[in-house]
Amino acid sequence: MIFNSLVFLVFVLCFFSVYFFLKGRLRLGWILVASYVFYGWWDWRFLALIIFTTLMDYLFGIYLEDTHAPRQKKQVIIASVVMNLGFLSIFKYFNFFAASAAAALQYVGMEASWTTLHIILPVGISFYTFQSMSYTIEIYRGEMKAERDLLKYATFVGFWPQLMAGPIVRAKDLLPQFHVERPFEWDRFYSGMGRVLWGFFKKCAIADSLGPFADQCFQAPETFGSLHLLIGVVFYSFQIYCDFSGYSDIAIGMARIMGYRFPENFRSPYFSSSFSEFWTRWHISLSSWLRDYLYIPLGGNRHGVFMTYRNNMITMLLGGLWHGANWAFVFWGFLHGLYLILQRFVAPRWAWVVRALRLPLFVDKGVAIAVVYSLTLLAWVYFRAGSMGAHSFTTANAVLSGIFSGRHFAWWAVVNKFQVLKGFLLIGLLYGVELSNAWVNWNVVQVHRPALRLAAFAVLLWLIAFFGTFGANAFIYFQF
Amino acid sequence: MKQLGWFLLLLGTVLAGDRAGGYVLQQQVAQSQFRYARLYGGEAAADILLVGNSRGLIFYEPYIEEKSGLKTFNLSYNGLPMDAARALAEDYLDSYPAPRLMLIELTTCDRTNDALLAGFLTFSGQSARLDALIREKSVENWRTGQLSALYRYNNELFQRALFHRKKTDKDWLLDREIDPDLAAKVLENNYPLEVHPYLLEQLQALVAYAQKKGVAVKLVISPYFPQFMVTHLDDLKAEATRLTGLPVYDYRDKLSDPALFGDFMHLNKAGAVEYLNLLRADGVLP
Repeated sequence: MIFNSLVFLVFVLCFFSVYFFLKGRLRLGWILVASYVFYGWWDWRFLALIIFTTLMDYLFGIYLEDTHAPRQKKQVIIASVVMNLGFLSIFKYFNFFAASAAAALQYVGMEASWTTLHIILPVGISFYTFQSMSYTIEIYRGEMKAERDLLKYATFVGFWPQLMAGPIVRAKDLLPQFHVERPFEWDRFYSGMGRVLWGFFKKCAIADSLGPFADQCFQAPETFGSLHLLIGVVFYSFQIYCDFSGYSDIAIGMARIMGYRFPENFRSPYFSSSFSEFWTRWHISLSSWLRDYLYIPLGGNRHGVFMTYRNNMITMLLGGLWHGANWAFVFWGFLHGLYLILQRFVAPRWAWVVRALRLPLFVDKGVAIAVVYSLTLLAWVYFRAGSMGAHSFTTANAVLSGIFSGRHFAWWAVVNKFQVLKGFLLIGLLYGVELSNAWVNWNVVQVHRPALRLAAFAVLLWLIAFFGTFGANAFIYFQF
Repeated sequence: MKQLGWFLLLLGTVLAGDRAGGYVLQQQVAQSQFRYARLYGGEAAADILLVGNSRGLIFYEPYIEEKSGLKTFNLSYNGLPMDAARALAEDYLDSYPAPRLMLIELTTCDRTNDALLAGFLTFSGQSARLDALIREKSVENWRTGQLSALYRYNNELFQRALFHRKKTDKDWLLDREIDPDLAAKVLENNYPLEVHPYLLEQLQALVAYAQKKGVAVKLVISPYFPQFMVTHLDDLKAEATRLTGLPVYDYRDKLSDPALFGDFMHLNKAGAVEYLNLLRADGVLP
């Protein structure tokens, strides 16, 4: 089930018409049933997988807490990680690794005839697997206690607002919230509604309006001029941002209406003036997960320059692979790893230039933001092409060579100019709102100023009607 | 109670604003020089009615009018399918004196385009035919259009109407030369034309309707880029002739200079002029 569909509207109405009349375990039970309906709507057969993962990690958690021998603890946590990553590997990466190994053997002159399996990727598996793993790892580290109540634990894993595409909420952040009764509050309702509407605007009006133009560029890059392709890539950068952050906004808003608090997943990432800042603003729940459970355990920046670079690169490569079974995603991760390393060289020198030339802050920041955005854009080309199967690198290279060729870098050579104008208008609106966050606390406005709230909600609804695309387009991150 | 009042006020504001916005946008469309705004605004009377998809835009009106001294009106639009073309053309025939000639680009019967149909919500208030067609082919869009007046203007047709608010669209034509690199790959490219019985039936009905009104109808196939492969074109031609009883004037390979094309499927302005000269020489156009 996807948020931008009529079925979801019916689901939400049914869910909330019962939810606030229930209390305690009945309410949790209702959330769990609704979550399984929400997930099973896509393919009920995979409910067995999520239930099995839930049960196993629930038992692993209790066993980890009850066991005091370090050796046994280690065995249990390894079993949990192997199980979780095992499912992920089978469903998401089996064919990829089989094909890659066969290609590697062929390269050295050996024939391999492994068959690939027809495996359906369960939606959201990457998200709930990481969420579930964080639970057992945190118990192993002694950072939280095991949840003895299976209902609470199952609700944590299957919680429908974030089940399909995050944010990846840590067990220590969400599980304690299930221990406290969450009565209905109008403030939370208004605040959540505002967030949901903003999310729908980002998804339906911005992401789905920019998507067709970007898709066209990647489907036949050779038929378009340089400016057209550049606009296509810029549009893709905003499509993926608004698609994913729109989903997160809806998830955060829905949870807020229900009385739960999710961490922020995006903070205006294209205003980042460094790559390390970018990763504190983009898909925050994943980047912080990778930092805490991969980068820091690898040694982080504690063992010298070379090891820091190595750890950076490993983290980003695996972060790339997390997104999908294609080398283009890995290459996207590689580029970001490289950017993080290069930044350590370039940043001090740029700071020296700024001091020497006494450049004002807005120039310093402006240049940094432009450079970070441009390089991010370059990496997005490989990321977008990553979903194009075997032709990913050919497509990405064709798009980039088209852009850098400068051929037909002219407005007249841009096709679908009306889509372009609409796209930039919407991006302008997005930037306007994001910039306004520096002066206006929209959450406070929604909660405490009924007249302004009414105006904001009405304007959002009008904008969605006037600019929205309502084809029930799935969210991009569902495929990850 | 206070909260209920707030919700009712929100609902009222949203609905009132939506309707008011829709009214303002409709006024903008009514003042536009865009073809469909002129069609439904009573400003489209012509001697020659031109019908087609993007390839119908090749019927370059200023040149035809200059050479023939007759008034033209072009209903063509990018991706326009024959069912929508039929609704528009029949609306024209009901609203204006019968033109001398209706020239139809046959490849308008190529494929359906329900996504484009939703764009005609902007004009569905003025056309029972468009309204019924959208309701039949794109019911979700039709329903959304009933719910929200603003949604009826959420499309490219409205944007074009705004763009042509103060300037005519009679000279709308792709005017560029095909990229030589792309032209060199002509043999690697092809266009799989679809022969749709439904769209051919729409053509048949339109031809019959026009002939009943005393309009001469001619079917043409405009030129394609030299050596560009279009499959099933002969099947389409044969079916059209069988259903309408009309011959098809086939110009698919009549122009061989690559400089006359904007891409594989469309002539540029220079090509359009050459093509229109051929149509005049053969008596297809007066």
